[in-house]
Amino acid sequence: MNNIIEVRELNKTYKDKTAVDSIDFDVKEGEIFGFLGPNGAGKSTTINMICTMLAPTSGSITINGFDGNKDRRDVRKSIGIIFQENTLDEKLTAKENLMLHCRFYNVPRSKRKERIQEVLMIVDLVDEKENRVETFSGGMKRRLEIARGLLHYPKVLFLDEPTVGLDPQTRAHIWEYILRLKEKEGITMFLTTHYLDEAEISDRIAIMDHGKIIAMDSPENLKNTLGGDIIELSTQDNEKAMLEIQAKAPEAEVTSKEDIIYLKVASSDAFISEFIKNLEVPLTRLNIRKPTLNDVFLSFTGRNIASTEPDKQ
Amino acid sequence: MEGIFAIWIRDMTRFFRDRARLIGSFSMPILFLLIFGGGMGGTMESLIGSSMPDAGEDFQYLQFVFPGIVSMTLLMTSIFSSLSIIEDKNFGYMKEILVSPISRVSIAVGKVLSASTIATFQGIMLFLLIPFLGINYSLTSLLLVIPFMFLLACALSSFGLLIASFLRSTQGFQLIVQILVMPMIFLSGALFPINNMPGWMDVVVKLNPVTYGVDVMKKIMIDVESLSPMIRDAMGLNLQLFGTTLTVAMEIAFIFTFTVILILFATLSFRRANA
Repeated sequence: MNNIIEVRELNKTYKDKTAVDSIDFDVKEGEIFGFLGPNGAGKSTTINMICTMLAPTSGSITINGFDGNKDRRDVRKSIGIIFQENTLDEKLTAKENLMLHCRFYNVPRSKRKERIQEVLMIVDLVDEKENRVETFSGGMKRRLEIARGLLHYPKVLFLDEPTVGLDPQTRAHIWEYILRLKEKEGITMFLTTHYLDEAEISDRIAIMDHGKIIAMDSPENLKNTLGGDIIELSTQDNEKAMLEIQAKAPEAEVTSKEDIIYLKVASSDAFISEFIKNLEVPLTRLNIRKPTLNDVFLSFTGRNIASTEPDKQ
Repeated sequence: MEGIFAIWIRDMTRFFRDRARLIGSFSMPILFLLIFGGGMGGTMESLIGSSMPDAGEDFQYLQFVFPGIVSMTLLMTSIFSSLSIIEDKNFGYMKEILVSPISRVSIAVGKVLSASTIATFQGIMLFLLIPFLGINYSLTSLLLVIPFMFLLACALSSFGLLIASFLRSTQGFQLIVQILVMPMIFLSGALFPINNMPGWMDVVVKLNPVTYGVDVMKKIMIDVESLSPMIRDAMGLNLQLFGTTLTVAMEIAFIFTFTVILILFATLSFRRANA
């Protein structure tokens, strides 16, 4: 597959700090590329540079064959962006918002009506097109923004925290639409999210921290690098239990966070029966699971992504 | 072109949809017409009239102040409409515009044109009051003044856009009105004749571009030729610069140049602020 985005030695430094520190990556045509990282990791800065909204300090960005520094206009034509915050004109109707977008992007006059209908169908808003956006719910506004981002048939769709601030049910719906899009249109998607379960739909994920990309692979491979299973347990005396575990089961990797002890073992099935029989400190809670992206994140950064806030701009 | 049109049509749709703004925008000029026309009219007329025993009767203050109040409306509306660009920034819509392929120049020009259209529209709406005010202007002069109103509005909107690129929040609004817009109105000859002013004030008046706009408005709308020279003088319509009496053509040429320069500056500073 061809690379639709190529980023080389991209840097962004402000007076007193480096926001993006010499990163390199490619996004392949047709894939969903996830961008993960805690608040202040440099995700938004990177996206803003790719979208031509911010000039890089150094480095190069190529999108759809166009130079992000020189051919800004062509880059802008090639991308669609769904921003974190609402960027609809709420005083206008859904249709008017879409029509304006057609004008901004010079969608051929004869095709405008048809395209508006088409994108409204994708996000199930056909019946709402004559209503003003201020009467819409949060989820409807998001869907309308997604529809708008698709109007000019962009090569890459950027989704910056597309489900932030939405209730779980609406979040699930939004992802349904996004997946439907990928299947039907084969459009390349570049997304950032701090909901790790949502990042799982990505074909590849880049984890960013302190301005650097510290890991990049498919979610599957990232989780496999951790290997084995994770056992979470709580006991009546965690400190004592940890010492005991380290003595009796040296093969397990032990970490603790708040009042939970995490054990990483090659295979939980073989380990657990022996372990429970031998543990003297009484157990209060036990959970066995496969590694998640959160564990990946934890192992790379030493922090829990769930405790970080989404980026604010 | 399509981009300019898009920016323009959006502002038009928003303007005509916002009833409160539509009504609110008339309250100020009507208030001024009431206060200056009704309240101050008598005093002004007797003051000026008493200085001209022969022709005093012919001086009609309302006839004098009406074009000034139209100019004031143009100034206020132009500047406020182009300041709406700050609102767009705060509510996020500016991002949608800025990531699109339309050029920064088109955005600025579109904004200037929409603000000018709105301002001109409001000015024209004031014409509807003419029959109720007991004054009369010829239809031709009213039709002639409309293109000039649009030109003046373009200059003032560009000025507003220029200010907007230095402001980050709408809170700066009040300040701008107090330190810029109000003096620009009061020191333009819009509301009272600019005669016998202290030297420094005369300089400010001559530097104020609105002065020339107001002067042209008055000269087009008021049938100057039929006025006696004394009344012309009393109305402050013999504007002089470096000892030359200015003609309408000279003033229009000046405002046109000024508009072009302002649009240029406004687009440049808008581009700088939104690289």
